[in-house]
Amino acid sequence: MAKTYDIVIDGKTCSAEHGEYLWDVAKRNGIEIPALCRSEAFPEHRASCRVCIVEVVARGRSKVVTSCVYPIEGECEVHTNSPRILQNRKVLIALLAARAPESDLMAAMASHMGASEGYERLEPLDAGKCILCGLCVQACESMGTGAISTVNRGVDKEINTPYGAASDDCIGCLSCANVCPTDSIPFMEDSMTRTIWNQTFELSRCKECGRVLGTQQMSDVELCDACRRKAIANELAETYRFV
Amino acid sequence: MTRTERILVCCGTGCIANGAYEVARALEEQIAAQGANAQVDLKVCRTGCSGECEQGPLVRLMPRDTMYYKVKPADAPVIIASLEGDPVTKLLYRDEQGVRHEHQADNPFYGLQHKVVLKDVGIIDPLSLKEYKAAGGYEGLARALTMTPDEIIDEVEKSGLRGKGGAGFPAGRKWRSAASYDVWPKYIVCNGDEGDPGAFMDGSTMEGSPHAVIEGMIIGALAIGAETGVLYIRDEYALAREHIQRAIDDAYAAGILGEHIMGSDHKLDLSIVRGGAFVCGESTALMNSIEGKVGEPRPKYIRSVQSGLFEKPTVLNNVETLASIPTILAHGGEEYAKLGTEKSKGTKVFAMVGKVKHTGLVEVPMGTTLRTLIYDIGGGIIKDRPFKAIQTGGPSGGCIPESLLDLPVGFDTLVEYGAMMGSGGMIVMDDCSCMVEVARYYIDFLCEESCGKCTPCREGLRQMRYILNEICEGRGKEGDVELLEEIGHMMQVASLCALGRTAPNPVLTTIKFFREEYEEHIGEHRCPAGVCAALTRFAINPQACKSCGMCAKACPTEAISGERKQPYSIEPAACIACGSCREVCNFNAVLTEGR
Repeated sequence: MAKTYDIVIDGKTCSAEHGEYLWDVAKRNGIEIPALCRSEAFPEHRASCRVCIVEVVARGRSKVVTSCVYPIEGECEVHTNSPRILQNRKVLIALLAARAPESDLMAAMASHMGASEGYERLEPLDAGKCILCGLCVQACESMGTGAISTVNRGVDKEINTPYGAASDDCIGCLSCANVCPTDSIPFMEDSMTRTIWNQTFELSRCKECGRVLGTQQMSDVELCDACRRKAIANELAETYRFV
Repeated sequence: MTRTERILVCCGTGCIANGAYEVARALEEQIAAQGANAQVDLKVCRTGCSGECEQGPLVRLMPRDTMYYKVKPADAPVIIASLEGDPVTKLLYRDEQGVRHEHQADNPFYGLQHKVVLKDVGIIDPLSLKEYKAAGGYEGLARALTMTPDEIIDEVEKSGLRGKGGAGFPAGRKWRSAASYDVWPKYIVCNGDEGDPGAFMDGSTMEGSPHAVIEGMIIGALAIGAETGVLYIRDEYALAREHIQRAIDDAYAAGILGEHIMGSDHKLDLSIVRGGAFVCGESTALMNSIEGKVGEPRPKYIRSVQSGLFEKPTVLNNVETLASIPTILAHGGEEYAKLGTEKSKGTKVFAMVGKVKHTGLVEVPMGTTLRTLIYDIGGGIIKDRPFKAIQTGGPSGGCIPESLLDLPVGFDTLVEYGAMMGSGGMIVMDDCSCMVEVARYYIDFLCEESCGKCTPCREGLRQMRYILNEICEGRGKEGDVELLEEIGHMMQVASLCALGRTAPNPVLTTIKFFREEYEEHIGEHRCPAGVCAALTRFAINPQACKSCGMCAKACPTEAISGERKQPYSIEPAACIACGSCREVCNFNAVLTEGR
């Protein structure tokens, strides 16, 4: 069994396994640390938003760490809301709110953290909701598609398909859009088609009930879950009718 | 008996640009035309950068040690003739009093240096393994092969060598910790991704002494138990790459690399990976780049010596660090530790550029003061204008004012003041440099060169650039300086990698040392240095004007007029405040005023 430690988070003693990420320990103990680029869906985290910074005091020294990827390797004291953390987190949120002026989430966070006033001098982008957390890229990679990626670097970084063109690799699964914390990946759907990343996909429907299954590129399944269960039940009933 | 004589022609990048190849060819043609001399074995030797780039092409006659500056192909006949007789006076170093000097060390630019890393650069033909060996090369490796890994590491620890790429991590400790992991394979990586504006230390070292870098890597590989090594070299360094590749090929052919290093049972394979971006100088981004991934730093709290390249124990050392290793092994760590200060041992190579009389590549013992570097080695400020600041450590460093010039240079001394020694770039600035504009320049550079992965660095830089542009264009507001500081302090604690954490340094140090200049821009709408066009008006001081007309010739908008023996004047409506007039004026007669 892995070694365990008693760590103190905001005054509360919590038990942590060796190597466990600080954010997870806090969460298990009912302490919420804000985070934007972290999803339960993935075992590893990008640590790009930096909103989950906390202060860790160990062996008499204090340091600021990113809790979503900080592994517990000894006893320590953690402050998730010290004045230093709150100040820096506020600036971070103010910067992200300026990056994503159309995002309701960022506006709400800014107002919650006192970052909606005092930062009028920052230059907002003209539009957009994307905070470049990278979760969409992580989702696309873990689907095995790898159709989108971050392109350019520095302040011009953005998320896109190669050269912004329709990608052969994209299957229109919407994983990127679903994982996005700010709903910034647009897609359109009508009764026959779904359009995302400059590409229109034919929708496939359950041949029994007509429910939308996804795009034709996603899989060649012909029945929805309910109809498939019904079909299997029917087949079983047929097979064992005389038993 | 035949005498060996060499004509060393500096073929560093700077001298090549000034025509060094043509000079070398002209010298060879001249030698051929004169015919063979049975008594003298005379050769032209194309060396690496010998240092004083702005006086190039440089030619040095050995062994008599006659140094010629600014040589042209047409000088070849007189140079060849001078081999036997008196030196060519007009090509010699001329000091401030106008006296000519023959030997290299007579020039304080060279005389005050102490070369360890660069000891062979500018002396040997970098493409010749034979010459490297004749200069004592691969003796360190031969000694290392008789030692255990622990003994090699002891030697490096004794030397006190610290990582010269900027961070200053003790090299011996890094090696020991990588050696402690019982994992196979391990890697040794050389960071040749020098990306600071104005820096060319590592490039020159790779160009001028490629075998020293390779020897250092082999010794490191023996110490940690690596059998594979990678040199990550930025793509702009075509000449460095070519020389390193040639050195690798020659080392394989000579049995120095490959299955049996110098006949031993140790093996090592080395290869070059072409790459390059400012951010790829960061260790984990560099490893991602070698692995074929996007060059972004890794977010992990795990050290590369435990899990680096391909998640295996990896030692990543900078070019200059590795090139220091052969000397340490050959002559002992204690010998090396005699140089430098208590906490910063040995020497450091600097690329000194900017408004200093002698620019170029300089190697001095740690602990040398900035004043010595600028005034004694560099010869002071061009046109003897007042010194204003020195920018050290590239975009991650800061601007240091006159009051701190007597600080001994070392890894820790400058950090206390928010600057850093960094990898060794030094840009000297005079009173015509606007510190707000300097900060804006670096932030603009970083906006493009940041990887853009984490919020603090990407968004912090974007907003800093916006605010600095506003200030430079005359739209600065009260509170801007405080907001810059607030963003900067957040970046220092919250950024993902060291480059992000140091990215606000150019802004924070200029605010710290030149706050009044920011305030003048914002409050008085005046750029005291006369750089920010929106905040500057130029005028000619009639008392100082000598009516030479240089300014009028230089003015792109024909805003300056005047007559012989009458002071010139500037028509304000036509002036675009570009500063060309001030730059050409030899009498410091062009003044700046606020708008």
